[in-house]
Amino acid sequence: MSRQELLNQLREALLGDMDRDEVAAIAEKIVAEGIDVQEGVQTASSAIREIGQQFETGEVFLPDLMIAGKKMERCMAVFKPHLEVDSDTAAGGRIVIGSVTGDIHDIGKNLVATMLSVGGFDVVDLGVGVPAMEFVKAAKKEQADIIALSSLMTTTLPYQREVLDLLREMDLRDKYFVVVGGGPVTPDFAIDIGADGWAENAALAVNLCTTLMTSGHSPPVETIVV
Amino acid sequence: MALDRDRLMLVLDRAHSGPVCETFKWDTEIIPQTIAKNLLKYDLRGTCDPDNPVNQDDDLADRFFRAGMDTAVEVGMLCLDTQRRITFSREEIEQAMQAAPSEFSLGEGDQKVLFKHRGFEDPTPPIWICPLSIAVSEELFVPILEGIARVPEVDCIEGPSFEAIWGSKIRAGSPYEILAGRRQADLTYEALRRAGREGMGLYAVGTAPTHYGVLGGYGIPGGYKPERDIVLLLSPVEMKTSYESLHKLAQVYNCGGITYGGSWSMIGGYAGGPEGSTVSCIACTLLLYTAYQASNGASFPYDLHDMGNCGREAQWALGTVFQALSRNTHICANSVLNQTAGPATKMLLYESAVGMMNLTVSGVSSCTGTRTAGGKYTDYITPLEVKFAGEVFKKTAGMSREEANDIANKLIPLYEDQLGSAPSGKSFADCYDVETLEPTDEWRRIYDEVKDEVIRAGIPLG
Repeated sequence: MSRQELLNQLREALLGDMDRDEVAAIAEKIVAEGIDVQEGVQTASSAIREIGQQFETGEVFLPDLMIAGKKMERCMAVFKPHLEVDSDTAAGGRIVIGSVTGDIHDIGKNLVATMLSVGGFDVVDLGVGVPAMEFVKAAKKEQADIIALSSLMTTTLPYQREVLDLLREMDLRDKYFVVVGGGPVTPDFAIDIGADGWAENAALAVNLCTTLMTSGHSPPVETIVV
Repeated sequence: MALDRDRLMLVLDRAHSGPVCETFKWDTEIIPQTIAKNLLKYDLRGTCDPDNPVNQDDDLADRFFRAGMDTAVEVGMLCLDTQRRITFSREEIEQAMQAAPSEFSLGEGDQKVLFKHRGFEDPTPPIWICPLSIAVSEELFVPILEGIARVPEVDCIEGPSFEAIWGSKIRAGSPYEILAGRRQADLTYEALRRAGREGMGLYAVGTAPTHYGVLGGYGIPGGYKPERDIVLLLSPVEMKTSYESLHKLAQVYNCGGITYGGSWSMIGGYAGGPEGSTVSCIACTLLLYTAYQASNGASFPYDLHDMGNCGREAQWALGTVFQALSRNTHICANSVLNQTAGPATKMLLYESAVGMMNLTVSGVSSCTGTRTAGGKYTDYITPLEVKFAGEVFKKTAGMSREEANDIANKLIPLYEDQLGSAPSGKSFADCYDVETLEPTDEWRRIYDEVKDEVIRAGIPLG
């Protein structure tokens, strides 16, 4: 199979009905054939961006996006060992994300996690009802760049503040950017608790995290609102 | 009507013995694939008609109901804590729906209200429950609620929720929440006493994201009263439950009370487009009434893209869900209308006019709201939009769906281009006199202007 045929197959696999194992098998074939892995990454990224755009326009729905995100993760797991360290994809950064204590709502968090994954970030999803200390522990363990906190209910907002308080008290605030979001989370609240960023929606959350990672600044920074 | 112990135990047992299913598989395979299959089976794909936001096709509503029933039987509910499916046979769901009350009452004395099953285009005025659990500051809880309780169209009270208790921020699932449960009852009774409506029925407990608020405020001395109030059991999307809801269910059983089962489905989310969301809401409603033995409630759609349900597709889905339930069950279905604009804006009132009218003609028994500014901002709720929505809700009883559709098509163009970027409006303190509980001249003028506009459009508010 030619180089172009393999890359086309990867694109179709990501956009179509193939499962994660099949996507990984194609990615492995690309590596085995000696095709420039960077081309594979660009093909995969382009396909995933296309799905993201289709979600924005209502052509596909959240489950499609989530499945595509998982397929992309498998694909990147194959490609990453063969990438140059300073490649563009590595610049995405690693994000630990979760809904804070008391909040078992996952749809907004899942959407943001998937969009970030699609946007080239390495996302570690901690799930829902995550205690403040668990965010901190996970960020240390995963060597995260960004901690992303989600809340749907007003009474879970104090737990977003607690994550930031813990980071400060443990002298870790300069290690991680912290971004916040969710239904009741406003820009004023993000500023008040000293978060590094707030985004209006999932698509803008990708812009926000990209801005933070490429800003050249270390955390904390003045709250960025997008 | 006390909860049936056998059904309660069956639900708890199945939450611990049902088929194992991980949440990711549930969200990305079980729910979307089952709904897609049933949309195909009943020829429902592409039936959403945004040009006619109030559905008038009875056969379509019935087919959606059958698709919802099939979906409920095939998927059941996912218990998040055990990662097991609580499944029910068709017979069990049908028996549960048969056992659900077609009428029940809340409140006491001269404030007692009777909820009844309503047909679509039913002339019986529906019940208006206010103001939803929108966050307010502790010091404004009583004045805001007093102002709302003074509105004659308001029948029962749910919320608001307060952010702090005695100056400390409330944290979900913490001892603060236990205290907040009882504190909310105290402050609510104080507001109702000031408004002269102490006997109003209450939805417990607004400031209770988990079960702790219910344990702290319901069925205890001085708290919410099982003999006249109802407990909120709200389930995460799609068709999920958790120990939080099951703890509340057990507490309601212990206290001899009744339950409200609520959830929602997002258009663009796990269930797919407006048609998938409609099927999901119907299926979820059947499951809520089966698992929680609900006396009131339902699942309703809203749109992931604008976080409201006043756009054309969401309105179509909303009306179709409740027409399907009205025609095929005898339950007292309740919806929530999700407005996106805030107080002192015309858009909020336009959204309310369209949504409340659609719900009334589509056969809801009751509605909870208003979800002013999408419930996003603290203290962004006032009695005046509650009054306006209540007026439309009750005065459109008996209107035909065809007429409602014509009116909706006149009003939706006034705001649809702002969905997704709706104005947040003004806070209570900025458009009300906190002492006299009267709106500012500006907010009153906006109300009067929009009232005139909707009357000219055909809503009989005169």
